[in-house]
Amino acid sequence: MFRGEQAEMSGSEILSTLLGSEIRGDLLVLFHKNPGLIDTVDGVARRIGRTTVTVISELRELLELGVLRQKRIGNSEIVFLDRAKDRDLLQSVANHLKTVRIGGEK
Amino acid sequence: MTAARSKTGASGFDQLFPGKAEENSRVKTGIVELDEMLRGGFMPGDAVMLAGSAGTGKTTLALQYLVNGVKLGEPGIYVTFEELPDQIYRDAKNFGWDLRKMEEEDKFRVICTSPSLMLESGSDSLLDDVLHEIQPRRLVIDSLSHLEMFVKRDDMRIEAYRVIRYLKTRGISSVLLWESPQISGGSFSVTDVGLSFLVDCIVALKPVEIESSMRKALVILKMRGSDHDKRLREFEITSAGIKIESAFSNYEGIISGSPRKVASEKLMEMFRGASEKQKKA
Repeated sequence: MFRGEQAEMSGSEILSTLLGSEIRGDLLVLFHKNPGLIDTVDGVARRIGRTTVTVISELRELLELGVLRQKRIGNSEIVFLDRAKDRDLLQSVANHLKTVRIGGEK
Repeated sequence: MTAARSKTGASGFDQLFPGKAEENSRVKTGIVELDEMLRGGFMPGDAVMLAGSAGTGKTTLALQYLVNGVKLGEPGIYVTFEELPDQIYRDAKNFGWDLRKMEEEDKFRVICTSPSLMLESGSDSLLDDVLHEIQPRRLVIDSLSHLEMFVKRDDMRIEAYRVIRYLKTRGISSVLLWESPQISGGSFSVTDVGLSFLVDCIVALKPVEIESSMRKALVILKMRGSDHDKRLREFEITSAGIKIESAFSNYEGIISGSPRKVASEKLMEMFRGASEKQKKA
């Protein structure tokens, strides 16, 4: 269902992808608070109080970014946090934020 | 002829094969009194059932077993079907256990998933990544009772057996929690789906009402291949975790749910009462 690939992105692109929508924000909070969560798309949607249809495209963005990973278990597709990738992306975002001055100019 | 033993208790044969001697050492829970009851700890690689009704302290005891394992250099995994991990991190912190820090050090993992996924995967591919990441020696499943909701009653034993074998094959010592609404009567029946014979050890936790107050009791019902303390011990959940106290030596009928003072204790009380009356007179 998802590609799960990530092209080389700048810190600002990563940041805007991570926080591109309210649902994506909810997903990030869920996985950061519960880094050991392993669930289906349906299960993840339920855990943030959304429907599967509304969550699929948002999950796809996070999978393409690499912060989440997917795997087939039996007949189900599961998603989970890639801890190492998550750490790398957060580091990129932190490095980017260091270069940003108040007012948004570099 | 008796084999010579070293200071550590390893026989001459074991010293020739260090791996063998290591196998013989116990898996300590880190709770001194419980380890004494277990004659040193659980047997390595054993599947232990920790049974009890809601609120008896199963999760606390299981977490303490894993946290103490980390302190002893044995990484651990806590698999929960019940709570979201953030609640577990918070509750553990109240006991002074910083699970997030242990996770950062790759010594601990809290895995939150659904029982249906665990069953669908046969447990292997679901846990493969995390087993590879931290090489755990201990694992807790909270709880086996949740699997029961997703399988037919007759299949429960097969599924539990599959999970236990998967962990045993990898040499992981497991603690399987079981929500047991009633551990009472003379039969000491822990589960009604026949899981007791699949596990190597059963530790039961039970609330007891004594003299109008609720207290907690712990008993080791079974331990394959080892002697163990057969007495019912009182325990408390303190700010540092489980603390096991003395045995309920003056009471009988605790497991059956009708505790009463043993006859000798009643007689002693009568004598004490009579003696006090005499003194006053």
